Amino acid sequence: MGHSTQRIGARLALGIMLAGLVPGLGNAQDTDSGWDDEGWGDDPWAEEQTGWQWYGFIEGAVAPRLQSDPAVNDDFTLAETRLQLEGERQLGDYTATLKGDVWLDGVEDGGRGDLREANLAGRLTAQTDVVVGRQIITWGTGDLVFLNDLFPKDYVAFFSGRSDEYLKAPTDALKLSWFGPLNVDFVWMPQATPNRFITGERLSYFSPQAGRRVAAPPRLDPRDRDDLGEDSELALRLYQTLDGVELAGYAYHGFDKQPSAQDADGNAYFPRLSSLGASVRAPLLGGIANLETAYYHGEDDSGRDPDRPNDQWRWLAGFENEPISDLTLGWQYSLEWIQDHDALLDALSPEQRRYAPDEYRQLLTNRITWQGSRQDLTLSMFTFYSPSDADYYLRPRAHYRFSDRLSGTLGANLFGGKDDWTFHTQLEDNSNTYLRLRYSF
Amino acid sequence: MIPALRLAVVLAAALLAGATQAQMTDATAIVEAANKASYYAGDDGRSAARMMIVDGNGNRQRRQFTLLRQDVEDGGDQRYLVVFSRPADIRGTVFRVEKQVGESDDRWLYLPALDLVKRIAAGDKRTSFVGSHFYYEDISGRGTSEDRHSLIETTDEAYIIESTPRDPATVEFARYRTRIDRDTLLPMRTEYERADGEVYRRMEVTEVETIDGYPTGTETRMTDLDSGGYTVTQFRYSEYDIGVPADIFSERSLRNPPRDWLRRD
Repeated sequence: MGHSTQRIGARLALGIMLAGLVPGLGNAQDTDSGWDDEGWGDDPWAEEQTGWQWYGFIEGAVAPRLQSDPAVNDDFTLAETRLQLEGERQLGDYTATLKGDVWLDGVEDGGRGDLREANLAGRLTAQTDVVVGRQIITWGTGDLVFLNDLFPKDYVAFFSGRSDEYLKAPTDALKLSWFGPLNVDFVWMPQATPNRFITGERLSYFSPQAGRRVAAPPRLDPRDRDDLGEDSELALRLYQTLDGVELAGYAYHGFDKQPSAQDADGNAYFPRLSSLGASVRAPLLGGIANLETAYYHGEDDSGRDPDRPNDQWRWLAGFENEPISDLTLGWQYSLEWIQDHDALLDALSPEQRRYAPDEYRQLLTNRITWQGSRQDLTLSMFTFYSPSDADYYLRPRAHYRFSDRLSGTLGANLFGGKDDWTFHTQLEDNSNTYLRLRYSF
Repeated sequence: MIPALRLAVVLAAALLAGATQAQMTDATAIVEAANKASYYAGDDGRSAARMMIVDGNGNRQRRQFTLLRQDVEDGGDQRYLVVFSRPADIRGTVFRVEKQVGESDDRWLYLPALDLVKRIAAGDKRTSFVGSHFYYEDISGRGTSEDRHSLIETTDEAYIIESTPRDPATVEFARYRTRIDRDTLLPMRTEYERADGEVYRRMEVTEVETIDGYPTGTETRMTDLDSGGYTVTQFRYSEYDIGVPADIFSERSLRNPPRDWLRRD
């Protein structure tokens, strides 16, 4: 007990120290206006740049749990001091980018690192762009809801209080883009890159096998899909904008990003997943409307094997507008329709049946964003609510830019619902509030 | 003798007329000419821009970006690409606009950390552009038909135009007065007034240079007279008629900015 209190104290001290230190730095920098003609020299388009250009930030973050979690012996989902460095270098028509994070982690105890980007990007021909190496890839029309974007996500970062940009996890890939009457993006990932899913180390989750919420140890540790070639993944997007209407078609052949299947020995693994989809996004009634669909072809296409996911048809409809100045309102409805639901229920044992997903999982989201003080202050609330699961996830947030260098974010991740085993309710004990301070340079 | 004298008088009159800009008398024509002079120089253009944003307490922020523009039609639709290089937290952000006169603009924003192309709903154009005291509309132009214009004075140097909104509910001002230079047709000062006549917002062009034959406002200041805050925008390395291809204004340029067209010559 004493030990634990000490640890919390040390972490808080770390966060507060950083908070105190950084504004001092910020002020020192901000008095330097740089408003003379030499201030133009650092424009990246000024001339052919030689050597590496470096940018980055230091960030302190703490996220205390709002309740104790019987499964996890930690009162924080986040307690860290992070340094991100990003380097960029021009090599002829190509740009080399390196972006890496190192941080002291008070939850997982120790130093950690993450190479987020290491790639070479440029124009291969007048009509072809290439990015090769570690990169972040995003497509599709959803807002925090992904159908055809089957690139890795980091839900642990997202739920535990890190900045939104960490929701997208990097992947090692070759991305070729061809621009013509129909634009084509082709992505090859030589090794499958799964989501950074909940393993139980930072966040607890519901285990149908155990019939309750669990956490590490043991850590959820599925078999890796790291056979070069054998475990490769392909993703394709065809798109064009016609008179302001954005149309796209998608295809994916790879693996589920979540370890959603179990082998005969009860070990989790990433099952095969192929998908086809389409989307449209266009201005409508003064706002932006989007419609997206994806058909997921799972490993079990009959539904008779409850340990492997069967086919799903997913739909998403959204609308966003600005009803009054500086206030943006976004709505989404999504549907996940399990294709062989009856067979799935029949195949489950009676005690597992209650945990089975509904045939139609429905999700409603709302985003409300208000900006004030000439955009220095942003208040927002993102709500996920599932009427079929009877659960919710709320993300209230206040972000303030103290200066070009210093910004702070105060927010919360609040989970709840009726049944312990649904997607959001299982995370209930991980509900947290967070504070982040970032000094950019 | 007499015919020769007459000829001399005619010639002298013609010379005089040529020396001073022909006087315009129609307010709408003046406003349209000013709109073209400020926003439609050449068929396209590139400029580096930086902003110094100073709030009422003296806190300073900066923005730096390169702007590419192409006119679809002179005085009409336009395409814009704005690539940010400063400050660090918005570096790499790209903003693309298809300006459509008479209907809502199409706008996209690229956020590099998420590799996300976000489409932005048409909104109030009289809200801050990237945190500055300038509004979106100040950067890309306000539709000349959205206000009623009257010429209230013509001085030796300038036309003074008073404009009142056709739909007062959509704007925060009751009227504004613009001082338009008779030679360059550039609006040199605009003052926005409340219903009681109090001026609360002022735009001033503080530096003009003639670039590729087009008079260009190279330094502009927007002041919020209520708070005392202001933003100074400087344009440098401006060039016109550089021949930007239309396909530069596309999703490709959001993810991979067109280096050859952004680079200064």
